[in-house]
Amino acid sequence: MKIVIIGNGPAAVAAAEAARELDGDCGITMISKEAVPFYSPCPLAEYVEASVPRAHLFLRDGRFYRDRDITTLFGRPATAIDTEARQVTVGGGAGATLVAYDRLFIAAGARAVMPPIPGLADTPGVFALKTLADADGIVARLAAARRAVVIGSGFIGLEAAQALVRRGLAVTVVEALGQVLPQMLDAEMAALVETRLRDHGVAVRLNSPAQAVLGGQAGVAAVRAGGREISCDLVVCAAGVRPDLSLLAGSGIATATGILANEFMETSQPDVYAAGDIVEALDRQGKHRVLPIWPNAVNGGRIAGGNMVAARTRSYRGLDGINVVRIFDLPVVSFGSSTGERSLRYAGNGILKKLSLAGGKVVGAQFFGDVNATGLYHGLMNKGVDVGSFESELLSPGFGYGRLVPRPPLPIRRAA
Amino acid sequence: MEKAIFTFIEKCVACKGCEIACAVEHSQAKSLFGAIAESPRPRPRVRVENAGAYSYPARCLHCEDAACIAACPMGAMTRNAVTNAVYVDESKCIGCWMCVMVCPFGGVSADPVAKKAHKCDRCPDRTARGEDPACVAACPTRAMIYATPEELAAHRRQATAMSAAGMAAARIAGNVDLWRSQKGGMRK
Ligand SMILES: Cc1cc2nc3c(=O)[nH]c(=O)nc-3n(C[C@H](O)[C@H](O)[C@H](O)COP(=O)(O)OP(=O)(O)OC[C@H]3O[C@@H](n4cnc5c(N)ncnc54)[C@H](O)[C@@H]3O)c2cc1C
Ligand code: SF4
Repeated sequence: MKIVIIGNGPAAVAAAEAARELDGDCGITMISKEAVPFYSPCPLAEYVEASVPRAHLFLRDGRFYRDRDITTLFGRPATAIDTEARQVTVGGGAGATLVAYDRLFIAAGARAVMPPIPGLADTPGVFALKTLADADGIVARLAAARRAVVIGSGFIGLEAAQALVRRGLAVTVVEALGQVLPQMLDAEMAALVETRLRDHGVAVRLNSPAQAVLGGQAGVAAVRAGGREISCDLVVCAAGVRPDLSLLAGSGIATATGILANEFMETSQPDVYAAGDIVEALDRQGKHRVLPIWPNAVNGGRIAGGNMVAARTRSYRGLDGINVVRIFDLPVVSFGSSTGERSLRYAGNGILKKLSLAGGKVVGAQFFGDVNATGLYHGLMNKGVDVGSFESELLSPGFGYGRLVPRPPLPIRRAA
Repeated sequence: MEKAIFTFIEKCVACKGCEIACAVEHSQAKSLFGAIAESPRPRPRVRVENAGAYSYPARCLHCEDAACIAACPMGAMTRNAVTNAVYVDESKCIGCWMCVMVCPFGGVSADPVAKKAHKCDRCPDRTARGEDPACVAACPTRAMIYATPEELAAHRRQATAMSAAGMAAARIAGNVDLWRSQKGGMRK
């Protein structure tokens, strides 16, 4: 059996590992647009900041592929999928290669959204922060840069802003909407984040959609946003990520925002699977969503990898939607909905915690300044635990898993 | 099967001896007075939590299918090939807190000073010497034992026999913290 994997990120590697573990004999070919071994994009801002060395980004080396007898086609993108003939085209033009598959796994991830504004696509000094090449480009430009504009105040934008401040640049974040982290936080939480950013020297411009990047072949000179020009010599565009569906044209694989996949990570085409940032799959509440985070990529990859070897032996309990970002070292966390029937609140010592409840259950949370125990609340939400009987204890400092452990009836104390 | 830590919740008297022993074991000095003098002060990886009428020494359960390992984007959350315990390789951890957010047991916490994930490593130095983990060894009521599942079953049979003989009120059966897998570990 020939397994072909498009991508070399966490979903792709998890699938390759799972498939190889179950079947020592199948052929496995991995195709990746990038030439480098598997690396993690998550610490790219820390790499720009110089707090994480480049070597730590790589999670596998060349030996990994050799030891598992994985054929690698790295450095050229997959450009087309023919689900009738069961083959993938790699590269373009005369040099294109055709790779036949029995099972196909698509894990090509997401691409950075680049808004169609003048100058953004073609002015030197403008970068996304999505791939290692982006980060290397930013690092190479740092020596000559004094002022930077970050477009977008999502978590990647804010991580980039922090890294650039720590590299000594004057940084302005421009955000089209009226608050920072608009996908992640409510206005009250966002205001705390904004204050912390300003306290650390970041200029924040809200209600300021980027309109143009000014400059020329010599490089970027300014960004016009919300009608004002902000001069700069470096731009990081962090306007979000979207599944990269460009290679699916004509394949017949059903898509919405991402590739539609069921709980087995099967797509609409036989023997074609997908997972990771490219997928639109069921979340824990049973809704199809695009939730581009690392754990979803790894778990989805493991499930697809297992099912490619033995169909429908593994199924997903649902994607998670958790967000965590550090704002100059303070953790900010959210998951689920910020509006429930009621909200519980804890404030003190620079910490603000909010839990949203509905129908006696946890439906969401937002934490500023503290991340501990958030996994517990997330678990309560996922399992749909009725928290009514201990609601008042939920946000108290002593609350923990102990409260949920099955307990014996009180022991009868006998005289010795 | 390899050994794990099992908890008898009704035996815990909240003396916090396990917390102190854990902090000392994970200090530079490995002695109580040395540990107190260290800066930052060593933090325990077990926490005695209020559990209604009981108390519960909460720590990582070293799940078979550990959510924290899948969630770690640095390859820092790792399983020890010898002891099977899940531990943090601090040289790789960047303090992104993904592991903290996906653990349904609160088994991983954030060390805000070191900016590293902080959790039970089941004392690899001690167990390599054939000793119990520090929390288990320190517990005056034996509310935790370090045993294989087979040894645990034998322990339960013995305790039941003792209790039947009226020697102790050690009613253990059914009260054991056996939630090794994240699936179905939480009480509905
Ligand atoms: C700066 C940054 C910080 C992040 N921080 C966090 C975090 O703290 N926590 C978290 O959970 N998530 C974080 N994420 C998200 C996380 O990195 C992704 O969810 C995860 O990497 C997705 O994995 P994937 O395998 O789907 O795709 P990717 O990791 O994006 O990998 C895609 C792979 O496909 C290859 N590829 C793309 N197109 C083609 C093609 N046409 N042909 C062949 N190969 C192709 C690429 O070369 C790459 O190897 C962060 C992302 C970024 C960019
Ligand atoms: S905090 Fe450290 S151990 Fe935890 S997920 Fe992040 S890098 Fe991994």
